[in-house]
Amino acid sequence: MRLGRIWNKLATPKRIPRVFSVILAIVLLAGFIVPLTYNDQQLYPRPAPQLQISEQDPLAPYDRGGVPLKEPGIVKAQYPQYAPMEGMVTGYLSPIAILVGNTTLYFGTSIYSSPGGLIDEILYYSRGFDTVLESTILMMAFVIASWVALHFTMRRRED
Amino acid sequence: MDFTTLGGQFLGTIPLGDIVLYFTTFNLFMFVSALVFTAIIAMSKTESQIEADFGTLKDKEKKVSKAEFKIRRFLAIICGLATAGAMITGDVFDYTLFVALIGIVNIGIVAAVKEIDVLEAAFQYGIIAMIASLPLFAGAAFILASSGTISLLEIINIPTTTMMFFGSILLFIGVAGETGVAPFFATKAELFRTAGSPFLVIIHLSSLLIIVRTIEILLIINKPF
Repeated sequence: MRLGRIWNKLATPKRIPRVFSVILAIVLLAGFIVPLTYNDQQLYPRPAPQLQISEQDPLAPYDRGGVPLKEPGIVKAQYPQYAPMEGMVTGYLSPIAILVGNTTLYFGTSIYSSPGGLIDEILYYSRGFDTVLESTILMMAFVIASWVALHFTMRRRED
Repeated sequence: MDFTTLGGQFLGTIPLGDIVLYFTTFNLFMFVSALVFTAIIAMSKTESQIEADFGTLKDKEKKVSKAEFKIRRFLAIICGLATAGAMITGDVFDYTLFVALIGIVNIGIVAAVKEIDVLEAAFQYGIIAMIASLPLFAGAAFILASSGTISLLEIINIPTTTMMFFGSILLFIGVAGETGVAPFFATKAELFRTAGSPFLVIIHLSSLLIIVRTIEILLIINKPF
């Protein structure tokens, strides 16, 4: 009898988001007691903290080295065999970035800096398919929103 | 435990940089069936429903208008393709992106309807799908942080930790919210009360295949046997 009542309550669409959020909240609270075990074996290779800053590097702390199209910078791919040209444009800086980098020592931490080159290869070279999917999701959201806005599906007064 | 225990014969991979799609007998079958159903749905026409009033002759016919038909067919095809992609991807983050795409397209398929009850249910389903994107991506992030990789071909060689297990629970809650399985089915059941059954069937089919694939991925991550 009680179980039947619970099922009946769950059959109301309005209650479902609340039920879902309560279950999610319980699981997220349980997450506080889960021991955090990070895997640091596959991390992105980085120099020691403050090392680049003590060396007076204007790109510190994001200097990844490399000469564009000649020498690869420090990057790490999951499958290096599928990404033979990786790191080749990591060292690229735009003319404005070179100008600012020559003027100040704090280019690496300024708002218009780009960590290790203008093209973030981790995202656009070795994980390019992700960016395709992400923009597809965004495009579909705009398609739906604009269709609904143009055709005005919710004609409450006429119904 | 490896891919052959779960999916049968390992047939090969499609490398896209760090994202590697892979084929086993099992997920190739699901991939092909998703594509076949998408093709059938793209060719089929909608039915019309008749609502009869008792004791009178006021029958009301519910039809899908041409503009509505076009957008719903387009979104149904995208939904089918996203389902097919989710079947063969070997990357947890890509998988969550495919599931998020299916979720948003499902809302779109019913948002084009001009019935208030259905739109109300679609609104509630949309809220759940939006909330569910938090555990979905957080689950993938937990798995990445604890194993150092999100490629299933690598994760299968890494011993499972408690944090990976917690990440997969979050992932499952996310998928449950996006696909609307029990006990969150009430919103989805309401959605099916409208004309245009081919497009409603793809909503159903995508959640079905996604749940099966999610269970396979959770078994790969957690390695219970």
